[in-house]
Amino acid sequence: MRIVVSRLDEFPPGERRIVQAGRRSIGVFRVGDKFYALNNHCPHQGGPLCLGATQPWVRSGGPGEYVLDESESLVACPWHGWEYDLATGQSFLGPGEPPARTYDVSVEVGAGEPRGGRMPGPYVAETFPVHVEDAYVVVDTSGGTRRTGTTRGER
Amino acid sequence: MTTSTGTAVGNGTIDAEVHCTPATIAELVPYLDPYWRTYVLEGGLTISAAQGGAYPPQAPTSATPAARSAGAFPAREAADVRARVLDPGRLRAAVLVCTASFTSNRNPYYEAALTRAVNDWLIAEWLDSDERLRASMVVPTLDTDAAVAEIERIGDHPGIVQVVLPVRTDAPWGNKRHRALLRAAAEHDLVVGLHAWGRTGNAATPSGITHSYLEDYLANSQIIVQAQVASLVTEGVFAELPRLRVALLECGFSWLPALMWRFDKDWKGVWREVPWLDAKPSDIVRRHVRLTSTPAQLPRDPVQVRQFLDTFDAGAMLMYASDHPHDHGSGHERLLSALSPAETEAVLAGNAAGWYALG
Ligand code: FES
Repeated sequence: MRIVVSRLDEFPPGERRIVQAGRRSIGVFRVGDKFYALNNHCPHQGGPLCLGATQPWVRSGGPGEYVLDESESLVACPWHGWEYDLATGQSFLGPGEPPARTYDVSVEVGAGEPRGGRMPGPYVAETFPVHVEDAYVVVDTSGGTRRTGTTRGER
Repeated sequence: MTTSTGTAVGNGTIDAEVHCTPATIAELVPYLDPYWRTYVLEGGLTISAAQGGAYPPQAPTSATPAARSAGAFPAREAADVRARVLDPGRLRAAVLVCTASFTSNRNPYYEAALTRAVNDWLIAEWLDSDERLRASMVVPTLDTDAAVAEIERIGDHPGIVQVVLPVRTDAPWGNKRHRALLRAAAEHDLVVGLHAWGRTGNAATPSGITHSYLEDYLANSQIIVQAQVASLVTEGVFAELPRLRVALLECGFSWLPALMWRFDKDWKGVWREVPWLDAKPSDIVRRHVRLTSTPAQLPRDPVQVRQFLDTFDAGAMLMYASDHPHDHGSGHERLLSALSPAETEAVLAGNAAGWYALG
């Protein structure tokens, strides 16, 4: 299903739109000039993931050094604070918590590489491709979930 | 020496903490510069085994019955430690700790002179008299530059294996103002030991001074040392000084699993504030911190003891310490009787040998 989200010029950077695709609620985010779409349903316990705050990654070479990496954004679920990579849906709060097997997006998730000591968590939120067509932002749910880093490693 | 449960201490055991102290300040006077000799004399300054109330002579925790009947607690000369600790335990090595300067007044120049004197006294009167002895040097706590200078002066002495710091301080040891001291220790391959107690006036609780010895004693393990561990990890000390090794001395260990559990959990939520942490706090503690086995605050049920030890890999984290002459009850026997043979070897010798690089 292809859903037209917004006119491009009415969707400035830093904003988000929540759209309905059948029974699914989907959050579409604009970060800089990139668009991301994520199922508005937290795999942890079903919280409204896309209402959470987004923040870039922070890297550090040592105490007192904070480098914001604007190229990668995380959204934190408003219910329990689990953070998910907007591009991949990968959670970063684990490891150790059992995966919620009732959500098929969560079961086969292995970890990718640890990032800054943070192990990828057991959950991956559903993501969708978004593109700009004739100055409209369009989200496409037909391809299903894109996943990355799902094949190996400790959960 | 055989403990009451039959676990042998001996044949290569390393005792990671044995107390020693000058009987009076007169013993340190020869090691003080002339100005400070007069200062001590005219000011009527003293040091005492009770250390500003840390070890009241009549408190059961201050001395084992054997040490009490010998009359000298802590040990005042090397022969004493030889007769009471090294020989009966057939020890391979013992790490001396002298905390006499912990209760120094607040004159930073006097504290520097006093710690220099303690160190020179340790080298001359102890290290030179028995090759099984190693020593923890002391440094001034009010002047980081002076502490660094002292580490530069004697940190490379082959018998010095540790810089011992009071666990009670004006600002937590992870605080940036202390970093140069910790860096100097790491560069000289010295363990940084945090030992129970500190200057009189450094409150036992963050919300103020207590009136009872009970609260004061409890605070070392249940409040203060935990704040220091949180500080060292959170402030990124180990991210900046990846070679630094820390030993927690006479601060207990039973609190560790609960602290690590919460520490990891809360870090996951607020990691953004401290992005220099490259692993979860419990992993960092495993890499950089060891704890002495005394006091061992453990339950009586051996099954529960074992379950508890498994929560933090006690066999890898603990270093045997008699803490002579102090008496912390029978928890230590419970610990030793719950360890597997491999863990026993590690706790009695291997862990300390590695941490203190005792060949
Ligand atoms: S439901 Fe989203 S973090 Fe728990």
